Amino acid sequence: MSDGPADGRGSGGRSTGGRPTDGQPTDGRPGSRPATWRSRIRNDVRDARVLARTELRCRVRDVRGSARKLLSVAFMAFAFGVFFPLVLWGVATGFGRALASGSPPLGTAGVAFGGIAVLGLYVGGASGFNQEAAGAVGPLVRTSISPTAMSLGRLGSESIQATAVGVPTAVALLLEVAVGARGPVAPALLAVASLPVFLAALAVGRLLGDAIRYASEVLRVSLWTKVLVFLAVTVVGYVGSYRFVYAGLDETGGLAGALPPAFLPGAPLQAYAGVAFAPLGADPRPLGGLVAALLLAAVPLGFAAAVRWETHLLLRESPGDEEQTSGSRGVPWPFTATPSARVAWRYLLRTRRDPRMLAHLGPLLFGMLGMGASVFRNPGSLLTVGPPAATIAGATVAGAAYCMNPLGDDRDQLPLLLTSTRSVAVLLRGRVLAGLVLGLLLAVGVGTPLSIASTSVVSTLALAGFAVVLSLAGAGTALGIGAVLPRFERREYMSVERAHPSTIALICYLFGGLFVGGIGVFMVAWSVDAHSLLLPAIAWTVYLAVLALFGGGGYVAAVRKFDRLTLDET
Amino acid sequence: MTEPSTAILADGLTKRYGSTTAVDDLDLAVESGVVYGFLGPNGAGKTTTMRMLTGLVEPTGGAASVGGTPCTNRRDLVDRVGLLPEKPPLYDELTGREQLQFAADLRNVRWETVSDRALELCEALDLAEDLDRRIEGYSKGMAQKTAFVQAVQHDPAVVFLDEPTSGLDPRAARTLRSQILDIAASDATVFLSTHILPVVEEIADEVGVLHDGHLVAEGAPDELTAAAQGGANDADLEDAFLELTNEPDAALGR
Repeated sequence: MSDGPADGRGSGGRSTGGRPTDGQPTDGRPGSRPATWRSRIRNDVRDARVLARTELRCRVRDVRGSARKLLSVAFMAFAFGVFFPLVLWGVATGFGRALASGSPPLGTAGVAFGGIAVLGLYVGGASGFNQEAAGAVGPLVRTSISPTAMSLGRLGSESIQATAVGVPTAVALLLEVAVGARGPVAPALLAVASLPVFLAALAVGRLLGDAIRYASEVLRVSLWTKVLVFLAVTVVGYVGSYRFVYAGLDETGGLAGALPPAFLPGAPLQAYAGVAFAPLGADPRPLGGLVAALLLAAVPLGFAAAVRWETHLLLRESPGDEEQTSGSRGVPWPFTATPSARVAWRYLLRTRRDPRMLAHLGPLLFGMLGMGASVFRNPGSLLTVGPPAATIAGATVAGAAYCMNPLGDDRDQLPLLLTSTRSVAVLLRGRVLAGLVLGLLLAVGVGTPLSIASTSVVSTLALAGFAVVLSLAGAGTALGIGAVLPRFERREYMSVERAHPSTIALICYLFGGLFVGGIGVFMVAWSVDAHSLLLPAIAWTVYLAVLALFGGGGYVAAVRKFDRLTLDET
Repeated sequence: MTEPSTAILADGLTKRYGSTTAVDDLDLAVESGVVYGFLGPNGAGKTTTMRMLTGLVEPTGGAASVGGTPCTNRRDLVDRVGLLPEKPPLYDELTGREQLQFAADLRNVRWETVSDRALELCEALDLAEDLDRRIEGYSKGMAQKTAFVQAVQHDPAVVFLDEPTSGLDPRAARTLRSQILDIAASDATVFLSTHILPVVEEIADEVGVLHDGHLVAEGAPDELTAAAQGGANDADLEDAFLELTNEPDAALGR
């Protein structure tokens, strides 16, 4: 490599006083000699390290500065470092015993490596796709450290942050394997063998995430298309992993011992396990050696490719999004009826233009997918489970969509909202109405056709009526929860940065809704078939009183709380 | 506590955040129909004062009223005030027109009753052609103009403007100044906080200078200017401001 011209400029680059330019940087100091490729790499690594360290330090300070975040980290540390390892104690110690038995269980080891690879792919893919901060660091890239250092630093810090969550689990599981194996050799080999699998998957996942992000930019995919693709991928991923896990389990729920051949033909991960555990008596095969070599090569090559591509993406001018960004829409009937209804229309309109407003519904989606497991196993149950599930899901959405953090997610507009309304009630009722529209689309729009196909008209009408009542109560209750646990600080969730509702409150609301809604759905079915009116009437009186207490009470509490809200509390 | 011709009245208004006193024992009396320029260095307490006067934060001590309505009574206060905060409170997903209609709905005012005035202001501010574009695509100046129209379209008795010319080009800034004068001419009161001293010098009837939470001077711009630099003939409002706020560079002014 040549040292380049001696006048302090890189050939073809601008004279920037030592600032990195179009691929021909100097060594970073004004007036210094042009950089050799070695010094460039050294400088990039140094700058990347500084950037990653700074990002990680900011993250740690951010967590330390908030009691809520500290509590959340403590909870995660408990769940990942204690709870999961305890649940897996039998499996992990049994695996350790088997590893040290002189005939390592390669099938089980292959499944374990498969799980680690999936984890790496997910972590890498998610961090590669979610590059929300890329726009924010763009100007920094163009005016300070080299783009390569920027990509390297961000890749490092994001990978460390995403991986850190799994470290307590990994350490605890390795300790359990050590207990089962009665020695450190088996867990040490497992750790050493797992690392290339995870890192290679992380690098490949990152590239995949980058590719999806790049494709969506180039194709100028609309936000709605992205949301629909995301939902489709989530459902397919969920169903796929569900079938994968069930295929990998034996009748007793233990590991079946081999990866289903349909997923990875030739069982390469088992072959890799043969190489990894050869010191413990496994029989290594040439395929295993090849897989090991490929994994070891994939780590540096994958990360290098990811850094190069992300550098390119950082410097690339965004094509911009001109689609449908003009044209005002009036308020259609029946939303013209009241100020609240007009406000509701504006929330729906904003959501239609930017569906990311509902990103906080992610946990609900995952919860519903989990609860819909029986339908995946037995599609015929859709007509039985579908109507009540749609009713409860709709009521949950009615509350969770706009009412879980009222005014919190309007934080930037509070000066307008608080100085324009005599009471925030108009705004809160608007949110309830908007939530009802979405919730009833699901509860009645999906539930009613399924119900008609499977039950009587009376049952269908009763369930639809109940859906309206439950949705209304759900929205009111959600307002109350939002008044008790408002969130004004912005945070990133599902790649969307805004003041999302409290996740814990959302999950509690989901389970509460499931419980209360489940009782109501049962009561609907029971009342329709009941021979006497007295008992159902008493039961419904009590039930509706409870709904009114929670729904109405939540609404009143929210109006009182937010009518007195000041910016001091935000 | 209030007098009929007094639009804004503050009596010992105080705001503390922990051990920090943002506004300390502030007394103010702003007459109706005037443009009141509220000056002060960064962190002097201007925004906090404005927030107390519009009911957005609660005073720690003292009292204030706008048009005779206590500032802690936000329910009645909203009918009297219009606020343009430092950061335009707009929704990116709406168009300018939809945003203005939304603001009218919040006040329970039919759009038809305010649309003439709103559109006239937009026309004057050269915003009319962009009203049907989404705010996410607006420049800083366009967002500022939209927020200004939003703050005044319902003809409030008192308008609070925090840095209204921020991000505006010279032509738009001049138009905005003329709109502010029109508002005052219609007997409304304008409470104007800005760092741009020539703006205050040009349009304010009265000026208050806040420093470290204290009102250190109050009077007509020419009175403050005359008092600056010991009455030097070539002193201007900037000299007065620097002198009153004890900026280290004040002595270098002239």
